[in-house]
Amino acid sequence: MLEITDLHAEVAGVEILKGINLRVDAGEVHAIMGPNGSGKSTLANVIAGNPSYRVTAGTMEFEGEDLATMAPEERARRGVFLSFQHPVEIPGLRMDHFIRAGYNAVMKSRDEDQLDPLKFDRLIRAKAKVVEMDATLTKRAVNEGFSGGEKKRNEILQMAVLEPKLRILDEIDSGLDVDALRSVSASVNELMGPDKATLLVTHYERLLTYIVPNQIHILMDGRIVASGGKELAREIEAKGYDWLAEQQSA
Amino acid sequence: MAQRDSQESHYLSTFAAFEQNGASASPDWLQALRKQAIANFERDGFPTARRGNELWKYTDVRSLASHAFTLSKGNGHEAIDFAPYDLPCPRVHQLVFVDGHYAADLSTEPPSQAEHQAETIGHRSEGLIVGRLSEAIQERLPLVEQYLSQQAGAGAFAALNTAFVEDGALVYIPDGVAVHEPIYLLFITTGHASVVTHPRVLIIAGADSKATVIQGYESLTADAEPYFTNAVTEIVTRPGAVLRHYKLQREARNAYHVAATHATVGRDSMFASVSLDLGGGLVRNDISTTLAEVGASVKLDGLYLGDGKRHIDNHTFVDHAVPGTSSDEVYKGILTDASHGVFVGRVLVRHDAQHTVAHQVNKNLVLSDEAEVDSQPMLEIFADDVQCTHGAAIGRLDPNAVFYLNSRGLDTREAQELLVHGFVSEILSAIVDDAVRQYTDDAVLTKLG
Repeated sequence: MLEITDLHAEVAGVEILKGINLRVDAGEVHAIMGPNGSGKSTLANVIAGNPSYRVTAGTMEFEGEDLATMAPEERARRGVFLSFQHPVEIPGLRMDHFIRAGYNAVMKSRDEDQLDPLKFDRLIRAKAKVVEMDATLTKRAVNEGFSGGEKKRNEILQMAVLEPKLRILDEIDSGLDVDALRSVSASVNELMGPDKATLLVTHYERLLTYIVPNQIHILMDGRIVASGGKELAREIEAKGYDWLAEQQSA
Repeated sequence: MAQRDSQESHYLSTFAAFEQNGASASPDWLQALRKQAIANFERDGFPTARRGNELWKYTDVRSLASHAFTLSKGNGHEAIDFAPYDLPCPRVHQLVFVDGHYAADLSTEPPSQAEHQAETIGHRSEGLIVGRLSEAIQERLPLVEQYLSQQAGAGAFAALNTAFVEDGALVYIPDGVAVHEPIYLLFITTGHASVVTHPRVLIIAGADSKATVIQGYESLTADAEPYFTNAVTEIVTRPGAVLRHYKLQREARNAYHVAATHATVGRDSMFASVSLDLGGGLVRNDISTTLAEVGASVKLDGLYLGDGKRHIDNHTFVDHAVPGTSSDEVYKGILTDASHGVFVGRVLVRHDAQHTVAHQVNKNLVLSDEAEVDSQPMLEIFADDVQCTHGAAIGRLDPNAVFYLNSRGLDTREAQELLVHGFVSEILSAIVDDAVRQYTDDAVLTKLG
């Protein structure tokens, strides 16, 4: 589904990604771990098309098509979804209006039926139930005054509505207590399917006990320095990242 | 100096002619008021000085002053398609003026006492007046003499309006009366000639009364000849009154629009103003409110949309004159092309005005390189036990927000539209009357395209 080859990217002239290779197939869950500043969030944003980042070399293919030349909305319409680490607050724009506009833009691009406000209201209520979110939040301004947990759950609600193929979850676990983490993870798992793929970006091994990855990749200084199964996460939890850095430079 | 003399002398000779024709039939107090006003205008002159002219430092009125605008003769008016100005509600108290002259055919007569829907709150509802100022003057209503020009105050533009005061609207809401229908005062300029109009409005809200007044300023053609609207509105709210006052300005792009609104707010009374500037070439609004008695409050909201070369200047002034009053002010601007927005918000908390609550926010979205904004809060606080906040922001659309919307499938144009609508919705939602809100929402969203 996603094939990244020797990807380099920079922000404000500073190179952050220094040659990423990553392949994610349908039905798989991959986790990207790494210390602060290693480039995890950059990778997530570059895949989703954040214009603050510039791809300087390498390729990104999504279902065989070049992602790097697509506008971010085009990627979204084809099924790429980024759950933001810091979801943006938009005063004055109602959550349900916003996500209906997004949903209809996606449907329109696929020549599928758009939903009027009434039908969409039914859809979003059903999805809110799936992600265990209070549906009245959808009548409020986008993320405005939401708690950290509500913001994250709101991202998952949007994912539930848009039903993307590639789900990039950037620090979905930050700001969540254990109960919220369990519930959000359950939603992510429930919304998964054989035609979908998940890319988890996280600091903590804790998340991976709830959303179990097929593969874990350790990102350090813009490169993937190790890939492996669950045991790799446990090793990181026990020993930190430094030993990998030493192994790298050795 | 010679040029300045000629600028004012045009209006002085117009006044001389105005005094000869018809104005002489006015009561003595009004004639004296006009004479004093024209003398003040002659003394002060237009505020064209570019140095030491604090109140007009962001707005250059030299082109306005040099233009020889003439009073409209008002010999009837062409047929006007009123549909674009119709409020979407069945019953409206509506007064329409075309080029400064009352248009009986477009106005709905104030309903007779038997039919009007004013509801009583423990008082008799009779005596609601939504009528022509000229008739009230002719009928020697003591209200007019008592209140007219008590607040209009200094300054060349207000003086000029008072000197030429002839017609306009008088709104009087008796004590205890809640008027459920909007009171709609509409000033239309045909734009066929370079006319000056001096719309004058006097609103007295009786104790424990409730009413909504909307003042519209419209032009029949967007590409009108340059014309000049010089409006003055004076408002008094008595104890316990709630007055909602909405102003929708959609003048032509060549128009000069100078409007002053003064309100004196009584004990436990609320004055809520929403000012929407969607048109005009050079626009200056002054809203000046005095919180005169304990428990008085004002809510001032404003939205200005600048495009082309529009210049929109909003000056607000809140005078917390006594203890225990509050003000809440939110002004927002969206500026594109080579437009210029100005916001100067002065808040005065006088020495004894303890327990004042005053909040002020001015936010501006600047969507082009050439657009400009000047934002200046002026807080003068002389009491110590107060809660006062202010904030100003000038910026572009947040690129993170645009990307957030992009990442959900919306292209950048759609994203900007949603963000802009979100930005203005706070102001639009300050309009609580459904019919008026529907009308103003349409006006703003149409303007935003």
